[in-house]
Amino acid sequence: MATSRTIEHAPRGIAHLSLGARRRVRGVVGFVVGVGGFLLIWTLLSEFVFGEYLLPPPLEIGQEMWTIVRSGEFVRHFVPTIVRLGYGFGLALLIGFPVGYLMGTSRYWRAFFHDMVMVAGSIPGITYAVMALVIVGISILGPVISVGLVSMPYVAINVAEGLDSVDRRLVQMSDAFGRPRSAVVRHVLVPSVTPFAFAGVRLSFALAWKVEQLTEVFGSSSGVGFMIRKEFEDFSIPGTLAWVLLFIVFMILIERFVLVRLERYLFRWRLEEQG
Amino acid sequence: MSVAIDRSTPSVGAVGVLRRAVLSDVGARIASYLLLLLLWQLVALYEDRFPGPAEVFGFLWVEVTAGSHGGIVRGEFLEHFAATLPRFALGIAISMALGVVVGVVIGASRFAEALLKDTLLVLVALPAIIWAFLTQMWLGLGDDAVVITTFLSAFPFAAVNVVQGVQAIPRDLGRMSDAFSVSAYRRLRHLQVPAITGYIFAGLRFAVIIGWNAVLLAEWFSASEGVGWRSRYWYDANRYKGFVAWVIIFILFIVLLDRLILVRLQRRAFRWRDAQASEIEREAVEVDVGVTGA
Repeated sequence: MATSRTIEHAPRGIAHLSLGARRRVRGVVGFVVGVGGFLLIWTLLSEFVFGEYLLPPPLEIGQEMWTIVRSGEFVRHFVPTIVRLGYGFGLALLIGFPVGYLMGTSRYWRAFFHDMVMVAGSIPGITYAVMALVIVGISILGPVISVGLVSMPYVAINVAEGLDSVDRRLVQMSDAFGRPRSAVVRHVLVPSVTPFAFAGVRLSFALAWKVEQLTEVFGSSSGVGFMIRKEFEDFSIPGTLAWVLLFIVFMILIERFVLVRLERYLFRWRLEEQG
Repeated sequence: MSVAIDRSTPSVGAVGVLRRAVLSDVGARIASYLLLLLLWQLVALYEDRFPGPAEVFGFLWVEVTAGSHGGIVRGEFLEHFAATLPRFALGIAISMALGVVVGVVIGASRFAEALLKDTLLVLVALPAIIWAFLTQMWLGLGDDAVVITTFLSAFPFAAVNVVQGVQAIPRDLGRMSDAFSVSAYRRLRHLQVPAITGYIFAGLRFAVIIGWNAVLLAEWFSASEGVGWRSRYWYDANRYKGFVAWVIIFILFIVLLDRLILVRLQRRAFRWRDAQASEIEREAVEVDVGVTGA
């Protein structure tokens, strides 16, 4: 039988470790293989398909990235980008919360916002970027508004979904014990809906920073998108790739370490419930 | 209680009919479009560089019916769509073909997953503008740059969805098929293909949405005809109403394609899975699948 075979071979591999340790070892090995695979594919493409001029090898881009970080350019352009992203998400939450609340509680408002929310995700990012440029010109407002508009529907639909999932018995019980509406909102609705709103932010994160970058490419005088455009106009392939990769590494780090933790923190009552 | 009763008594006469029409779902939709137009008009009043709805729709009419914009400049709508659609279709076709192959390989093999999954995630994270820039530097102006930008932007989304599909094939049913020695063909026909189909359609949907943005960007930077180029033409000429008119065309095109065809295909293919979900949940999934991507 399959199980007896596993036991036979157990002491050879990592099977004698505890389950958690095994998972960690596997995670590290997987990560190393994955990054190795990425660099390998890149090197092969650079060596045999495109040539070193069109696609510089990883080492050269790595040096370029290091130069950008060391010269302080990195910080100078990342800080504005991140700040705008933050403001944009703030805007999305500010508008998305009430819109989602209306959508989740009233049939009329759900029909009212339905089309806009459904459509917003499929609107091409370039329209946000250039419209922002036409309306507000080269300004910090452009990226903020774009990020806000792109993320708002995800916040709204998730808030609506959150309200949909609120434990109806809690609301009925509050009614039965004569709790005022404000208390129900404060103690039942808001705590169950907030995690959903943040899930909306997290979902829209990948889309939002792409649109932000695009907006910066078109109409900004600082930020990562602006630098990518500058390198493009200087016809510098290593420069373009270096900025892009720095940005991607940074975004993946934010997503893995900040957003995932935040989400876990906000959803903790749910985990407890599941035991 | 009395409030509830008041509401439920049908109001009589013209006022009642009107009231019900305004409060109906259709009424709500119409109200939302009117509000949108109003907001647009307000923005146009506040910022006079930005054209109002009347101006834009007038321009749109001339452009679509190939009327005269004054002088020798004529409206060109079909010409540019005819240039863009083959590029777009080719880019999407390559993405889907390669996306299904790569997705199945990654989904079926642990080793391939460890080796390629991170590469795929980086590709998902790359914005289309990067490919538009790189392909222009690599290939210069022309069709190739546009098709390849579309392909490179859309492909990872197709692949990621197929990976999810392969991994969602129910294991228990596979094991049961082993136990009852079900033939490989029947397994493919009744277990694997139905499980993956929905995810392939989800992948197609997001490949199309992502690819549409990519094709526009690539044409903006490296084409001399096509819808993306045409919108840039008006933008560069400082005729913003022309640009906004094309924005409306972009949005209408992708929204109609998505809502009328792709969403229906996806919903049909996922019938078996979503039968239990509430309407809001289903809508949330439809909106979400694209952005999560991974």
